[in-house]
Formats: sequence, C-alpha cells, structure tokens
Amino acid sequence: MNKTGLPILIIAATLAACTVPQPYEPPAPAPAPAPTPGGTPVETQPAPPPPPIDEPTPLPPPVVREPTLGAASRALVSQAQAQAAAQNFAMAAASIERALRIEPDNPLLWIELGKVRQAEGNYQQAENMGRKAASMAVNAPKTQAAAWELVAESLRAQGKNVEAQEAQIRADQMGR
Amino acid sequence: MTKKLKKQLLAGGALVLGVGILALLAWLLYLDRIVTAQFEGRRWTLPAQVYAEPLELYVGQALGADTLEQELRRLGYTRVEAAPKSPGTYRRRGERIDLVTRRFAFWDGTQEPQALSVAMSRNAIVRLQDPQGADVPIFRLDPLLIGSIFPIHGEDRIVVTPEEVPDLLPAALKVVEDRKFDTHHGVNFAAILRAAWVNLRAGQIEQGGSTLTQQLVRSYFLDNRRTFGRKIEEAIMAMLLELHFEKQDLMNAYINEIFLGQDGQRAIHGFGLASQFYFGKPLAELQLHEIATLVAIVRGPSYYDPRRRPERVQARRDLILKLMNEHGLIDAGQMRVALARPLGVVDIDKQGGGYYPAFLDLVRRTLRRDYREEDLTEAGLKIFSTLNPLVQSRAETVLKQELERLDKSRKRKDAHLEGVVVVTTPQNGEVIAMVGGRETNFAGFNRALDAKRSIGSLVKPVIYLAAIESGRFHPASIVDDAPVEVKLDNGQIWRPQNISKELYGPVPLVRALAQSLNLATVNLGLQVGLPDVTREFKALGLDREPPQLPSVLLGALDVSPLEVAQIYNAFANGGFNTQLRAVRAVVDAEGKPLKSFALEVTPVADPDAVYQVNRMMVEVMERGTGAGARAYLPPGLVVAGKSGTSSDYRDSWFAGFSGSHLAVVWIGYDDNAPTGLTGSSGSLAVWARLMASIGTTPWNAPLPEGLKETWIEYPTGFGAKPGCADELALVAVPVTVELPTKPGCESGVIDSFKEWWQRFTGSEQ
Repeated sequence: MNKTGLPILIIAATLAACTVPQPYEPPAPAPAPAPTPGGTPVETQPAPPPPPIDEPTPLPPPVVREPTLGAASRALVSQAQAQAAAQNFAMAAASIERALRIEPDNPLLWIELGKVRQAEGNYQQAENMGRKAASMAVNAPKTQAAAWELVAESLRAQGKNVEAQEAQIRADQMGR
Repeated sequence: MTKKLKKQLLAGGALVLGVGILALLAWLLYLDRIVTAQFEGRRWTLPAQVYAEPLELYVGQALGADTLEQELRRLGYTRVEAAPKSPGTYRRRGERIDLVTRRFAFWDGTQEPQALSVAMSRNAIVRLQDPQGADVPIFRLDPLLIGSIFPIHGEDRIVVTPEEVPDLLPAALKVVEDRKFDTHHGVNFAAILRAAWVNLRAGQIEQGGSTLTQQLVRSYFLDNRRTFGRKIEEAIMAMLLELHFEKQDLMNAYINEIFLGQDGQRAIHGFGLASQFYFGKPLAELQLHEIATLVAIVRGPSYYDPRRRPERVQARRDLILKLMNEHGLIDAGQMRVALARPLGVVDIDKQGGGYYPAFLDLVRRTLRRDYREEDLTEAGLKIFSTLNPLVQSRAETVLKQELERLDKSRKRKDAHLEGVVVVTTPQNGEVIAMVGGRETNFAGFNRALDAKRSIGSLVKPVIYLAAIESGRFHPASIVDDAPVEVKLDNGQIWRPQNISKELYGPVPLVRALAQSLNLATVNLGLQVGLPDVTREFKALGLDREPPQLPSVLLGALDVSPLEVAQIYNAFANGGFNTQLRAVRAVVDAEGKPLKSFALEVTPVADPDAVYQVNRMMVEVMERGTGAGARAYLPPGLVVAGKSGTSSDYRDSWFAGFSGSHLAVVWIGYDDNAPTGLTGSSGSLAVWARLMASIGTTPWNAPLPEGLKETWIEYPTGFGAKPGCADELALVAVPVTVELPTKPGCESGVIDSFKEWWQRFTGSEQ
C-alpha cells in the first residue's frame, strides 16, 4: 500500500479537478504535494481505510456559467443592432463577425448573428446559428433557452412546426 | 514644250502635295482620335488589390508593444519622436504607443484618421484611448496590401488622385525631367537640340530631350522601338495631347502611368505602387529623400534599381536633391538632412506587396466563380482577404527550416522535399495562412490546392466519428486489433498490417486511434459499414464521396491539403461545417460593396460524437503518435490532432487544432517518391513549432451535458480508478454508459482516498 500512495495522491489530485464538468484540462501530472511539515516522508502516512460504500458519490450539480460579452464585442453588437435596425443586414453581420473573431466561443454572439439572419429572412442560417450557440452554451441555461428560442422561431418561419415545437419545449425547459 | 512640261510637273507636284497634305491631315486626325479617345476614357487597367485582414485593437487583445510596432512598420508607419500628428505616424514610449491611423475605406464603411493611445503590459493591450482620454472599445488599423491580381507579364499599379500626391513630386519631376513643362506645347525643340549636341559630343546618349508629355505618350500609346518615324509620331501626339488637355491632367496621368520597376512578371507602374514597392507606404507619406529616390528611378528603372544598385541610385538621388535646392524647391537645410539619409528602400520580402502566391491563388480562384478574369485584372476591385501576415510568415519560416533539416537526413540528393501548410480559424472557417511550397516567392504549382495525395491515417478520426455516431461505439468500446482479410471485387485478398507489424488484440477505441492501429481501425470500419464511413467524409465537407473500398479505411484516398483542412475544420468547429474562405468582401473601384462572403454554418455531425472524437484526438497528442509535439508546445496548451503516413512513406501529414487555430501540414516529394518519413517524424514538428509560435489558445470545449468523463485503463479499456491501474486515460462517454470495471477496481477508492487526503492535508471541505 505504501508504494501506491504517491501515484494515488497525484492522480486523485488531478481527478479532483475533473469531477465537475467544465472546460477540459489536460490530465497532466499534478504538481507533487508540498513536503509535509517536519519533513515526514509521504510513505509513512496511514493508508486509506477500506471503502465503506460501493456507490460513487453523486456529482455536484454543474456550476452555472452564463456567458457575458467583452467590451469590444459589446460595442460591435450595439453597432450591429443599429445597422440591422436600418435594414443594413450585411453590415450588421459584418460587425458581429468582427466580434466573433475576438470571441469565437461566445454563444451570445452566435445568437446575435442568427438574429440578423432571421431579420433578413434567412431562416435556415438563423436556425443553424441557434443550434451552434446551443451546442456551446453548456451549463448556461439562460443562453441555452435563448438559443433554442431562436431555433424554434426559425423553424416555425420555415414551416417546420413539429421540429419547432420540440425546440420550443427545450427552450421552455431551460428558461425555467 | 518646256513650258508645258513645267506646267505638268507643277500640276503633278501640286497633286502629290495635295494628296500628301490630305494624307497628313487624315493621319493627324487619326492620331487625334487615338489620343483623345484613349486619354479621355483614362482607363488604366487596374489590377484588383488584395488586402490582408486588418489588425483589431481592443483591450485584452494579446498584442505586445514590440509586435504592434512591428505591425505598424510593416504597414509603413513612420516613427516620430514628438506626439504624432499626421496619419501614418507613431511614437513609442516603452510599453505605450501613440499613433494617428490612416483614412481607409473598408467594405463596411470608411474609417477616418484617428489619434489613439495604446498602452500594453505583458503582451496584451491594457488601455486604448483617444486624445481626450476617452476609452475606445475597438479600432481596426488599415490593412496591409498583400498583392494584386494582374495579368501574366502585366502592368500593376495603384492609381493616385492629385490630392494624394506630395507637392514636391511634380515639382521635382519638372526640375529633373522637363523644366519647360508648364509652358511648352508638348515638345521642347531647344531641349532636343541641346540633347543632340551633348550626345553628339559624348558619342553616346547622355541626355534625353523628351518632355514629360512625350514620355507619357511613349508609355501610353507606343511601344519601345526608337525609330525616327516613332519619334515624329510621338512628338505629334504629344502636341495633340497638349491641345486637348490641361497640364495638371497630364502631370497626374504621368504620375500614374510611368514605368518604375520590374518585380518578376509584374511591371511596377505609377508612383503610387512604386511607393509601396520600394518604401512600403502610401505616396502621400513619402519624405523628401524618398521622393527624390523615385524621381531618380524614372530615368531607367533597371539601370537605377535601388535594390541592386544602391550606390548608383543614391548618387543620382543626391544630384536630384541638389537640383531641387538650386531651383528653390527646398532650402539648404532640408537638402542637407535628406542627403544624410540612407536610401531606406525596404527589403523585397518585408515590403507590403510581398508575395503570397499560394494564398493569392486561392483568392483568385474564389473570385473566378463570380468575376471574369478581366474584371479581376482591370476593373480596380478591392478585395478584403482573410490572410494574417504574422501567422503566414511564421508558417513560411517554420516550414522552410524543417524542410532544410529533413533534407539533410535524406539519402536522396537530386530532389528537395516539398511541403504545404494551411492554417484556419475553425469557428469562422477563414484561411489565415497558406504556404504552397518551400519557395514561397515562386508562383508555380499550388500544392495546397492541387496536390491530391494519399492521406493515410488522417482518415481515422472520420471512421471513429462514423462509429460513434452509429450509437454502437464510444471511446472505451473494445475493438479487436487482429488480422483481417477482405476479399476485394477483383478477387484478390487484402491483408492490411500495422505499421509496427505487431498485433495488439482487444483495445479500446481511444488507444486504437492514439496509436493509429490499422487492423483495429479496419475491423471497426467494417463493423460500422463502408457506406456510413464514406458518407461521413462528404458530410464533413469533402466535395465528393470516396469510393466504398476497404482500402479507404487506411487512407487510400487522394485529397489536397486544403480539403483536409476543410474536413478537420468540422471537428474543430464542434460538428459544424463552414465553407473555408479566403475572401471576406469585394468592393468596386468606387468603394461600393459588390459581394460579401458571409459566415455560414451547417450542422453536419452530432456535437456529442464530435466531442468524443476530439477528446480522443487530445489523447493522440498526450500519449499517441502526436506526443512528440510536447517538446515544442508550451505546457498547458491542450491540442488535438492526428498524424498521417501514406504507404511506403510517400506522404507525411499532420492535422490538428487548438482552441483558436487549425493547421494542416504535408511533406513529400513532388514525384511521389518515398520519403522515409511518417507523419510523426516529418510534419509533426512543423505543426507543433507553428502552433507554439502564433499565440494560440488551448482547446477547451465544454463537456456536453449528455456526456461524462470517466477513467479507463488505457491498454484494455476497462473502467478503472486512479490507484488501481498503471496506465489510465480520461475519456468522454455518454452519461448512460456503464463500463465493465477492471477487477480490483470496483469500489469507491476515490471516496476513501478523498477522506485520507483531507486528513493528510488537514483540510475539511
């Protein structure tokens, strides 16, 4: 048991960082534990007691992380909204694309781009943007709801009412 | 009799004279028509100008002061010591750069010049303000002009308006080339006589007597033959031009027309382009010594080539500066300052118009779908491309260095290895760099687009994706790495082998992919079914479905590097396809938007399945055939990728991505001879060194809610726990999956360990 102590220690430290679903981190070796006070060698520590239960502890509920926009993206999005209001959809989309180059992983921007497409009547792309946003908005129920809402609206506009209904249900579930 | 004869002769003479005068008149009218029609239309053929992507400035942008300064210099901004006042200048004080940007007409709006103050710290912008101290959320610099699309052996030029021409340029041209320009009628007979006299005495041509108007005519209407007849024609046309047009128009035409250098197949015409070609900045920003240099070149662009004959050009430049002083254009102080300056001609590689032949070829092919060749080479279009010059130059350097290193260790000495690099930003599908061969300045065969080569194991992630999408497999599923025989249509038996020639038995998918096991993959592909596998290629963005042959499972599939990038882009983009783009928008000569290539996405694969494959490709980099990349990559930079080697080691491939970039590298011989390189021993180092040098972000896609992470024993695929197996791997599987557990690993070692750990560290959570 003594010999397995250190590897267990290292792997468990890594594992502790991985139990909550969150952005992937490499399972690189964790930093070696700091030497214990008094220079006690790790090998002399008591071994773990036998496991009392067989069931793994349930995972803690996922941490909710709603995305936000950076200052540059905020400025570009409000510029885009003004452009879209003036029916200038190509320019509005170009502004959001600029923001997406800065924050390509931000689902809010994909939703914004989808809304521009929706406003100009390109419902297929609006739906696709919504789906892309939904796939990125993990553990962000509000953003997920907004993404599925966009998908549902775009599907309805395409006359795909059954699929729209399904998307709407997902939106409503998330929005609660 | 004599009288009659005289009369007849007289009449004959008059007739001849009359006919002659009529003919002369007709000829004059003809010349007049040519001169006015062509000149009034003033239609220079204007090659389309291609711009790189503009640099965006905003707080948080990963950009250090050194890099920003380097970018400004590349754009031809001039460093000043006092607070910058005019567009195209900057001042640097430590980590802070103040600048005045240039006016630039982007396709989505014109940006007026703006004074900005940029503060940087630890390689990032921390403050961006205007002169009043107000925060500026985002600002884009004028983009780098990266090239033009001109006809082969054609003229390239940037047309300038009179407002864009510094006053000293026409003044200097007149002093040096044609002092009577403002008063003569097209031809300066006194100058011709004087030149003839000088040349006669010298026994060679030392002085030209041509006016600027004659030079313009020669360049504009005539070819270069110097016959007596041509001279007459030239003189008459010059006089006709002067009859019809103002001096100011003629001067402007001269400035845009005249030949000022040769760059390979590209003829540099006009001072606008010459300014970019020699000094890397717009004509309006040239300083006195630079203007004098261009005026020096006019006399003979190949004789006075500032890159090949700097001392000769400098001597003539100094002569011109002195002439300018003599004639009162500049004072003695200005002259002395300018005389003390070096020529300041930029390196041909570093200048704005540096060649990116592979990339420009992609731009040209993209546009050829919508525009005729003449529109591209003549109509003055402005093309906003996606090229990132920094990444491009890193890609060129790294590829060149690695190819040279690899060449030294090859047995073959009669041919050089060739290589290709394609880099994209996966989420928006923009091609930001493309190198088509080791000679990056040679616009030859574009390997990135046209070299369709066998991709070997690069096919594997596609097969594994098809397997997981079928719902019958996940990364911990077991597949047998055992001999397989396939009877082909032609009756032959196909018996593939592993590269190591060994058999690995039952292995989990994650290991089969990481170690690129051929037999396991063929068995998997046959279980999934060839139609599903070949369909997956098409879904991911290949423009054709591969033949349903078993050999496709081992990569007997000829695909170009750009097509590989398209397929892998779908993985990096989480299962969404985006048509790879090199062009964002096109505007016409007046700046009116003609076409934009908007970002479009299409869902093509189940995002959960793609995530599982991507996590397996992370394992390729952690412990499989991509592990060699670790030596180059910064610690903590999570990347995913796959190596590829075609049969007999003819092609060495590596394709992979981080959070923000995808890169595909190919190395091989043009004659398709074996290289002795695998994907890992050839292309991987190029890929890794590139990724390490472009400030890329880790791959950190969030774990989809339908998946969970779980430990398995890497060699066997059994569910395991830390502490009860030697070699563990963390894989993502659907939440519903329950893995058979490795004997001895059954119970909650983790939980008891947690307690132990807490007691050990004295912490209670």
